[in-house]
Amino acid sequence: MDNIKITIDGRKCLTQEGESILNAARANDMFIPAICYLTRCSPTLACRICLVEVDGKRVYSCNAKVKDGMEVITKNEEILEERRAIMEVYDVNHPLQCGVCDQSGECELQNYTLELGVDSQSYAIPDTKRESVNWSSVLHYDPGLCIVCERCVTVCKDMVGDAAITTGPRGGAKLGKEAKESMPKDAYAMWNKLQKSVIIPSNGTDQTNCSDCGECIAVCPVGALVSRDFQYTTNAWDLTRVPAVSAHSSDGFQIYYEVKPTSISDRMEKIYRVTNEWNYTSLDGAARFAYDFENRGVVKDTEAFAKAVEAFKKAETIRFNSIISNEEALMLQRLKEKTGVKLYNSEVRAYQKFLVAYTVASGNSLYTSDNDKIMRESDFVVSVGVHLRNDAPGSKHAFNNIQKMNKGAGLYFHPIGDTLVPTFGKTVTTFTHKVGLEEVALYLVLELFADKEKLPAKTKSYLESFNSIQKKTIKEKVMQEVTETIVDEETGESKEIAKKVSQMLEKEIEITHNRLVELLGKDSEEFSEVFEKMIKKKERFSLMIGEDLYYHEKAENLARLVALIEQTCSFDILIIPPKSNALGVAQICELDDQSSGYTIGYNENGDFRLSALGDGDLDMPAFNQQEGTFTTLGKRIVPTNAALPYEGYELNDLMRELMDVEEETVDWTVHLPADKGYRAIAFDDLTNSYDNDGSDNRGYLLDISSKGVEFSEVDKFDESAALEGDIAYRCNPCRQFNDFTDKAHQISEAFALYASPSRVEQLGDSVEIEIGEKTWELQVIKDDKMEGDIVCIPDFRSREDTYGAFGDSRYRKVTIRKG
Amino acid sequence: MSLEQFKNRNIGEQNYKMLDIEHRPEKSWDRFKQAFGRSIKIELFIGLAVTFGIMIRTLFRGETHTIRYPFEKIPISRRYRAIHEMKRLLESGNYRCIGCGLCEKICISKCIAMDTRYDENQRKEVSEYTINFGRCIFCGYCAEVCPELAIVHGDRYETASEQRASFALFEDMLTPIDKLKSQKEYPGFGAVSPNADDNIKKTPLAY
Amino acid sequence: METTMIHEVTWVGVAIKALIAMLIVSAVAGFGTYIERKVLAWMQRRPGPSHVGPFGLLQLAADGIKLFTKEDFIPQYSNRLIFSIAPVITAATAFIALAAVPIFPDFTFPEWIPLLGGVFVPSIAADIDVGLLFILGAMAAGLYGPLLAGMSQQNKWGIIGAARTAVQFLSYEVVTGLSMLAPIMLVGSLSLVDFNNYQTGGIASWMIWQQPLAFVLFLIAGFAETNRTPFDLLEHEAEIISGFVTEYSGLRWGLFFVGEYANMITIAVLASVIFMGGYSDFMLIPGWLMMGLKVTFFFFLMLWVRASWPHVRPDQLMWLSWKVLMPLALLNVVITGIVVMVTA
Repeated sequence: MDNIKITIDGRKCLTQEGESILNAARANDMFIPAICYLTRCSPTLACRICLVEVDGKRVYSCNAKVKDGMEVITKNEEILEERRAIMEVYDVNHPLQCGVCDQSGECELQNYTLELGVDSQSYAIPDTKRESVNWSSVLHYDPGLCIVCERCVTVCKDMVGDAAITTGPRGGAKLGKEAKESMPKDAYAMWNKLQKSVIIPSNGTDQTNCSDCGECIAVCPVGALVSRDFQYTTNAWDLTRVPAVSAHSSDGFQIYYEVKPTSISDRMEKIYRVTNEWNYTSLDGAARFAYDFENRGVVKDTEAFAKAVEAFKKAETIRFNSIISNEEALMLQRLKEKTGVKLYNSEVRAYQKFLVAYTVASGNSLYTSDNDKIMRESDFVVSVGVHLRNDAPGSKHAFNNIQKMNKGAGLYFHPIGDTLVPTFGKTVTTFTHKVGLEEVALYLVLELFADKEKLPAKTKSYLESFNSIQKKTIKEKVMQEVTETIVDEETGESKEIAKKVSQMLEKEIEITHNRLVELLGKDSEEFSEVFEKMIKKKERFSLMIGEDLYYHEKAENLARLVALIEQTCSFDILIIPPKSNALGVAQICELDDQSSGYTIGYNENGDFRLSALGDGDLDMPAFNQQEGTFTTLGKRIVPTNAALPYEGYELNDLMRELMDVEEETVDWTVHLPADKGYRAIAFDDLTNSYDNDGSDNRGYLLDISSKGVEFSEVDKFDESAALEGDIAYRCNPCRQFNDFTDKAHQISEAFALYASPSRVEQLGDSVEIEIGEKTWELQVIKDDKMEGDIVCIPDFRSREDTYGAFGDSRYRKVTIRKG
Repeated sequence: MSLEQFKNRNIGEQNYKMLDIEHRPEKSWDRFKQAFGRSIKIELFIGLAVTFGIMIRTLFRGETHTIRYPFEKIPISRRYRAIHEMKRLLESGNYRCIGCGLCEKICISKCIAMDTRYDENQRKEVSEYTINFGRCIFCGYCAEVCPELAIVHGDRYETASEQRASFALFEDMLTPIDKLKSQKEYPGFGAVSPNADDNIKKTPLAY
Repeated sequence: METTMIHEVTWVGVAIKALIAMLIVSAVAGFGTYIERKVLAWMQRRPGPSHVGPFGLLQLAADGIKLFTKEDFIPQYSNRLIFSIAPVITAATAFIALAAVPIFPDFTFPEWIPLLGGVFVPSIAADIDVGLLFILGAMAAGLYGPLLAGMSQQNKWGIIGAARTAVQFLSYEVVTGLSMLAPIMLVGSLSLVDFNNYQTGGIASWMIWQQPLAFVLFLIAGFAETNRTPFDLLEHEAEIISGFVTEYSGLRWGLFFVGEYANMITIAVLASVIFMGGYSDFMLIPGWLMMGLKVTFFFFLMLWVRASWPHVRPDQLMWLSWKVLMPLALLNVVITGIVVMVTA
């Protein structure tokens, strides 16, 4: 990344090689209008409004890369003329219903129309009737308002990876010849395209069948795409934006809760929608739509509070999950230090152990990469043990994004077949391996990427033991030059003509056969061919490690393998925290393996329940009613603010009864453990913003130390450990993460058995499923993007105690009976 | 008066025009003459004549200025901004209000509140609308900003009531459906200007 | 009167006269408020009370009902006794003064009326020889009403009102007395009947032609005595709320009101009798009607002046009294004395 100098409108700007002019300008606070361009996505070239003049030539700034010393002029008379014509065209037949449009003035069409001084219209064309449609349970599309900038299509393809929407035929009137002659060139081209297209679901039906992340809604510059729930409920200007963190997935997405009083008669604040800085972060469906999980109408119940204090005094165990702020986790840890109460967290304990094992083996206090870093730098990503679609939406975005933006490649190892991941890019290979062979996957990574010289001899020889050289005869097409003599019929002269003729030759070659690949269910030769293409011109490699590996019999060995990969393959490692603030809890709390005796459950089962769900013995504030910090997957400590009022007791009130502690919850922020990388920064001093060039200024990064260590020894794997038979996988459906997403009214995914279409056919509508002692009667729901026979059982409902049923593994053998 | 002059508070330097006040008498004799002159001057009795004349005119020509207020009212100015009215569409009787919320946005005393919803025709509809007349300063911005001429200022200036709420709800302000025929267009503040047509730039309406 | 038939003045006749005087003056006082409001309104291009009853006549009754039904309020720290008595003093002195004033001609009840048949009702309830002196004395005693009212109510406006009362009434009492002295010297009697009889020779014989200065002075002093504009400083709303009546309401306030109007009538009658020929017949017009017209004119004059002229300041009031009116009155007395001496 070289620093180079360019001049934009006479101002000298510093930027990097490979940056587009538009991004360079934005990073330097220079304004170039652009409608269709999205940062972090590929240029669409639909709007053509970002055109600039570079050294006398017109280019589109979103598409053109900077060159050292180039001079950019962002506006002159011709360019403004062209841009104005483009905006005029966008305004042709655009309905004048701004009064009721849900964009309510936050409209880029309005802004640019005014910015470019469009005060009259010189073009006209017959309008086409376009009906508005609902694409899914959340998406509403009004083609009448749509300006076909394709931002939704771009973000869905390049960022989210669903590619659920695309452009389709509009059936609009054709432009007349005179238009071509009289109009500015770009405006004509844009109009020509606009008249032909409209946005439609890409699967040929009228439903998108996507992950319903709503990112298309966020990026829509006009009111064409809105959430069905939000439509016509309020105006944007009435909403107060409360910067916060999404509490559901471990990504810790930056969000704004947009709040306003519920109605004229009910002045209690209500969250109307969630928005994000869509140029810098992309949400998943839970972050965007699961926002109304607040504990409403709580008052201070002194009786329940007194009981809670009593309960804490006699408690032996506090059971909690990862939906907890860093401060609250610290409170529990302090309580443990004081009273010796056990802290039990089934969601985080395995992850914590894994992290410890990794730290011991690698010498790094924490993993070294994160989603943003992967997106910015990597061009080859390997994912092991993550069910990308459901477990880690942010990592899914990253996995997908590097295929599109960094000309990347990807390897995806998972026992559950997935039809979506291969569509991320041509150079993505998925391994649908048997359950229990995660070690094999990591060994294969070592085999493929490791600097063999660095590897410990034992491991090296172990790896070599899987390779065998086979001889194989293949047919090869060879071009041969043949000289022919042709007699010209007219002249009778004979000529010698050289000709190329292809010939099939048989050839015997030596190929390396790798049994690891076979074990993982792929043909070794085919794979080596594919891999050769994949690895071409790749420079930065990343490895995503997921929850399957933490809940694994040989988790510790896996952690050592991960460390070894990092040390020998120059990989960036990302060990994805399984849920919400799992990383924060893992860093702050000393968790115990077992719970015993009188148990207090905080949003969990227990003898005395503290609950933000409104069904416990003492009410607690939900995450959108709390202030505090959150440790994200990106190792960032980010502040979140209370979007909604809460009148009841908080955990800190209990702690103040039990110990001599801080006045407010956020007073704990400075006390977060420094030895784990936290800094003594007060809550109010934490920043929460992005820069124009996309750099993240939210909170601060955990300090990570690393020290050199000897390579630790890794165990061999046991291929017989693979599970056979009916297998259930503990995995939530997309958008469901916990009780709170379940409570949110827009998240409709049920607590049910999720299976691939073929498996659903076998199972029917509902089944009885038995895991150990636990039996569930569950409805069967089809997950179109799943493959294979493994079924998924969700764990988002704490009272179903899925964790208890599955124990130390995410995969369990089950007995399924048709219901 | 320019702003600068207006802001100049230094009264000492401003050019005041002094009234020509006659000299006060200093000697006793002069004072006596002044008092005597004033006492017998005819002006004192001209005052009596004036009031008597007015009485005669009032009594016999009926020249009073009184408006018997509760029984007779003078027409108020078309620019007068009294209690708001909500208009209906003349043809269909539907609300003109499209729930755009601009009045709520522009209201400088923050007295307008509205709830909107999605009606059965998938259109935006205003479900509740209130104006807090305890706070309203009758500035007229709401009527001015309304794109549909749906909220206007009416002529109901008698705002005494047992409860403020008597005027505050949508239904109270709305033209009753049976009085639709007699609904008058609002000519005043925020209405379309008489030359509005000339101000509009033409858009091609070829289709 | 030409038939010098001497009727016996019985106590019954006097009692009836007193009763009639009181009732009529009270009624006229009430009606006076109506007239005042009407006249002021007309002079200000208004219709005046017109809503209650025909031409607003019942406004009177409405006001009366209001006054009677209002809360009788006595301030906490006032001197309750004096506060209660003060309005009575004002009203009583006003009516007492009327006892020596001929209000309308005498008459005898016809014989056929039972009980009262043949009772003679005199024109004056008490035709005492010191009539004028009595009237002046009684009216001067009326000073105590506002004075005590203002001082008893523990209100700064009341105190200021009381102070002004003392100053104004005492000052103008001097002018009233001196201005009437000259006509008294001419007539040689203090009885108002004698005054009337002195002027029976038509308009030319009216006192006003002999004593124009005395008439003007008496009128000015009369305005001040009755607390009328331009000398209504006692209860000048713009300066001292309501002066001595600030804390009064309801019926007590009404008594002040009645007293004020009774005084106005007294002054009007005095002016008519002393200077304008009294109740003697004028050509075809009977005497009682002439008297009525004259009194009405003076009453109207008071309203007219109120509608036309502004207030004076207290210092101007004093200046006027002591530096202008009193010397003039003295001068008038001296000149009259000389003339009487010479002609006698």
